Amino acid sequence: MPVLVMLGVLTAAGLLLVRGGQADGDLPARIVAAATAWLPARQRDWGHAMAAELAQVHGRAGRWRFAAGALRVALFPPSGRGRRVLAVALAGLLTSAAVTAATAAEIPDLAVSAAVLGLLLGGYATVRASRPHPPCRTVPGVMVAAVALAAVAAAIVSVARIAVAHPAAAADNTHVFAVLFAVALAGYLAVALSSSRGHAGAAQRQAERQAQRLAQRLAQRLAQRLAQRLALWWALAAALASGAIWTIIDLTTPLEPVGITGYLWPVGAAAVLAASVGAAATGSAGAGARAGLLTAVLSAPMHFAADLTALMQAGHYALTSPYDVAAFPHSGYPDVASYLLSDAMAGDVLVGLVVYPVVLFAVALFGASFVRGRSSSVTSMLR
Amino acid sequence: MTRARRPSPQTVAVLGALTEDPGRWRYGYDLCAELGIQAGSMYPILMRLADRGLLETCWEAEQAPGKPPRHLYRLTGTGRAYAASAVATAPSASPARTAAARPQLEGA
Repeated sequence: MPVLVMLGVLTAAGLLLVRGGQADGDLPARIVAAATAWLPARQRDWGHAMAAELAQVHGRAGRWRFAAGALRVALFPPSGRGRRVLAVALAGLLTSAAVTAATAAEIPDLAVSAAVLGLLLGGYATVRASRPHPPCRTVPGVMVAAVALAAVAAAIVSVARIAVAHPAAAADNTHVFAVLFAVALAGYLAVALSSSRGHAGAAQRQAERQAQRLAQRLAQRLAQRLAQRLALWWALAAALASGAIWTIIDLTTPLEPVGITGYLWPVGAAAVLAASVGAAATGSAGAGARAGLLTAVLSAPMHFAADLTALMQAGHYALTSPYDVAAFPHSGYPDVASYLLSDAMAGDVLVGLVVYPVVLFAVALFGASFVRGRSSSVTSMLR
Repeated sequence: MTRARRPSPQTVAVLGALTEDPGRWRYGYDLCAELGIQAGSMYPILMRLADRGLLETCWEAEQAPGKPPRHLYRLTGTGRAYAASAVATAPSASPARTAAARPQLEGA
């Protein structure tokens, strides 16, 4: 039943996205529109210029080439900071290499995850450094960034504890789960840190105000900033509440294997729904979608860390399922603990860090569209 | 003190194209097609030129039905002087792609 619910939610969300795409043009047009939204505020007009030019480009290959160019401009807009970007990139590479070497020496089974995570975070830092006028942080923004960093750190520590205590449980010859784990955590951090920034500092806001000649556009931007802050507060409250409840339940109830049923536990979905509906009602549909996404991004590593910590607290591991009883002797694991922890970690990475947040984001889209969806498309929510 | 940097061959090509008819407003995609420069390189060049006050920009007043207004570009007075100097002092060995895409630059 939970699987059917999950498939239904994902299918409906996919249909919503497809409908949004049909309304807003082909995929290159949507890429350029998204890239435009990601440009710094003072360069946003250039994004609109590229979007307008794309309307003149005919032929699929040409449109894709143009969209790729627009994406490149959005990721690395000219800022005159070439040396700084190079320095950040080099520092990222060196840090990544050092962390990977240290991990390989201490916990060899986590070396791949450390390398991938280091490279991805270094890449993220390089992209951020290339952007002119880094946006300022607000109070809720700082709190969101702190919670995100703490949650990701907790997830890493929980895996490291298992890898140290039961090395066989963390062995991953295919490296699939190691890479998935690192990509998911880097993605969460990137989303949380990007969302936690305001669009402008006080001085830049003043300059923008002077530059904005139309009062209506100014009012819209101010409303967007207010909605963005509200979204951060909603997400923060919902994620902390969800994480706290999840942790209490995890640590006080008898240990059970975590599966899809566990991850579809109503509190997680309710928290995301509350954040998206609340932010949409008090701000905008976009704010609702962002609040829901951020709630999912903040709570997923919290739940992951809580689950693995609870598993580690168990002093005694026993095979309860007939399948496990039959499979364990042929699994190659040296003990039952390693067998069960390995299975739990793989399930937590795949379901808890990859599938579960996608389902929750679909829930967030529904929540936001429930309140304001009739007046704006899903695509505009994501901008 | 700011160090004057030599413009890249692609920037020189863009300046050369804009100098041909300095009073004419140009479209970004047309410049891309004319010079064989991808949008990912063309727009950063245009953005830098505009930031330095060498390029003026405006939005098209009359637009095609069903299409958004396009952004237009032409050199400012300072930009024309800079372009003349940059094109004149540019190394003769331009990148093959740019030179091939725009042979008239050779004679500039």
